Amino acid sequence: MTETTLAPPEVQAEAALFLAVEAELIDDRRYAEWLDVVADDFVYTVPVPVTPDSPFAPHHDPEALLLDESKESIRHLWFRRLEADMHEFAWGENPPPQFRHFVSNVRARETGEPDELLVRSNVLLMGRRQSDQPRYITAERFDTLRRTPAGLLLARRHAVLDQTVIDFPQPRVLL
Amino acid sequence: MADADSDVTVPRRVWADGDVHKRELARIFRTCWQFVAHDSEIPEPGDYVTRRIGRDSVIVTRDETGQVRVLLNTCRHRGVPLCRADRGNTSHFRCSYHGWTYANTGELRGVTFQRDVYGQGGIDKSELGLFQAARVDTVYGLVFATWDPEAPSLEDYLGPMRWYLHTVFGKFDHGLEAVGPPVRTMVRANWKPEGENLSGDGYHTFVTHQSAVELGLFASQDDLARMAAVAGPRFTGRTVHCGNGHTMRIQRMPLTVDAPAYFGYPREMWDEFDRNLSEAQREAQSCLSVGHGSIFPNMSFLENFKTNVDKQGDHARYIRVTLRYPLGPAMTEQLWFLLQPRHADPEWRRLSRLAYLRTNGPAGMFEVDDTENFVGITEAAAGDVAADLPIVLDGGRHHPPTPEEAGWPGDVADGDRTEKTIRAFHGRWQELMS
Repeated sequence: MTETTLAPPEVQAEAALFLAVEAELIDDRRYAEWLDVVADDFVYTVPVPVTPDSPFAPHHDPEALLLDESKESIRHLWFRRLEADMHEFAWGENPPPQFRHFVSNVRARETGEPDELLVRSNVLLMGRRQSDQPRYITAERFDTLRRTPAGLLLARRHAVLDQTVIDFPQPRVLL
Repeated sequence: MADADSDVTVPRRVWADGDVHKRELARIFRTCWQFVAHDSEIPEPGDYVTRRIGRDSVIVTRDETGQVRVLLNTCRHRGVPLCRADRGNTSHFRCSYHGWTYANTGELRGVTFQRDVYGQGGIDKSELGLFQAARVDTVYGLVFATWDPEAPSLEDYLGPMRWYLHTVFGKFDHGLEAVGPPVRTMVRANWKPEGENLSGDGYHTFVTHQSAVELGLFASQDDLARMAAVAGPRFTGRTVHCGNGHTMRIQRMPLTVDAPAYFGYPREMWDEFDRNLSEAQREAQSCLSVGHGSIFPNMSFLENFKTNVDKQGDHARYIRVTLRYPLGPAMTEQLWFLLQPRHADPEWRRLSRLAYLRTNGPAGMFEVDDTENFVGITEAAAGDVAADLPIVLDGGRHHPPTPEEAGWPGDVADGDRTEKTIRAFHGRWQELMS
């Protein structure tokens, strides 16, 4: 990620508020509204975590992915089956797991593209399956936010997990 | 082959009991051949990955002569693990405690301050190499190891299963490669329920995966009609037990074709499949819907075909290998490998990867639904009353044997909504545990 200029304070606040509301929409399962704040060319990727043998290598494989989704794949393969007419047979999510995002350390940077911001943030996600005790997973997110006449849209999300062995109710999550 | 799976009674305690788990470690994981790595993960001398056999941490490494070694990851001196990373490259392993140093053949090369500590004569290094697997062998790029010096050869262990592995892994001119390191997930389930399922359970599909059916991930009549003349509404399947608990299910799409057709693979690869497969093997691959099975005890493979994964009307195929470490009666670490033909077209590889990740990948829709069953099975089996209650495993007993003219080796039946392969798994499991 190129280190470019930090955006001014009012843009930082705007980005942080966008991410807080975006997380609220997921946590509230307001999926149609979430899709409204996501760009049509949205790509969501999570690389495969790994424990490297060198302090100079990352804790993930930059070439290999655990998640690779588009707006359409999330709409169709994630959200559609949770609608009222299909939810009964989404067995792994019935009853639905509960998720709660805690988003922090938001840093918005200008990218050189006039309408785009690169926003890094940390996320802690609580996941709870049925009556199990909650479990937690953390990641750093590298988002691209795009300024449009309709407001900011999430155009890209790349989330790098902090766990090598993923221990969470399901790895199929929007970090 | 004798019907080794005829009578088997399985109480639910096998999924949750601590004593059963301990006995499995001794009777199964210390004796059976087990998958440890794909050879493309360690192509060069010095390359290594760390894995487990049972609960033991092992280093799988290619030594300086090119031989693959499976070394117990604990210093012979005082027990510290030599390798802490998931993968890397080194010619030697040096212990962080007192500095004992081993070549990647496992041989002990250096003992620090040897005369000070062990006297003028030193210590007999030849007796203190890293403990290593008794046998290591590779079939179609799949590296297996066993601790048991009395174990049969891998060839004998696999028996007729090798013929089926050839259909999945052996049909490519340039072999397969693992795409990145395996994903590792912790599942709060016993290691066996997922193995039972992948051994050949064609019965659960339309219930557990009903939402996948409704969302178009299984080929519909319209999808089929885009590929070839549709022969009928019903997919057909066979299930096979190859002895030693190795099993497979092969399901075929109802299509009429003039010559073997390997839908889901790039058309330019079909000639090499024709060349590399026998006539009976071509029959097992032609119009394949899904093929999956298990190498006893804890490795499974899946060659699957999915439609409409990225754009309406597309279809793709992928090969997945999974491996389950039995960390506790109700705790399993699962490793997930995507294997792709080395020289396939990049666009095909992209679509194959998307199809995998969105369906049978660790974060795929199918796995969310399957995993809930396996976790639930384990939880329910922890009850005292439930523990004694046997499960029902009679499905498919009436399925007719596949005619010998088909040329498929092993104990094969026509029909894949069956518990045949699960009886085979537990039959072998009971032999080893008794």
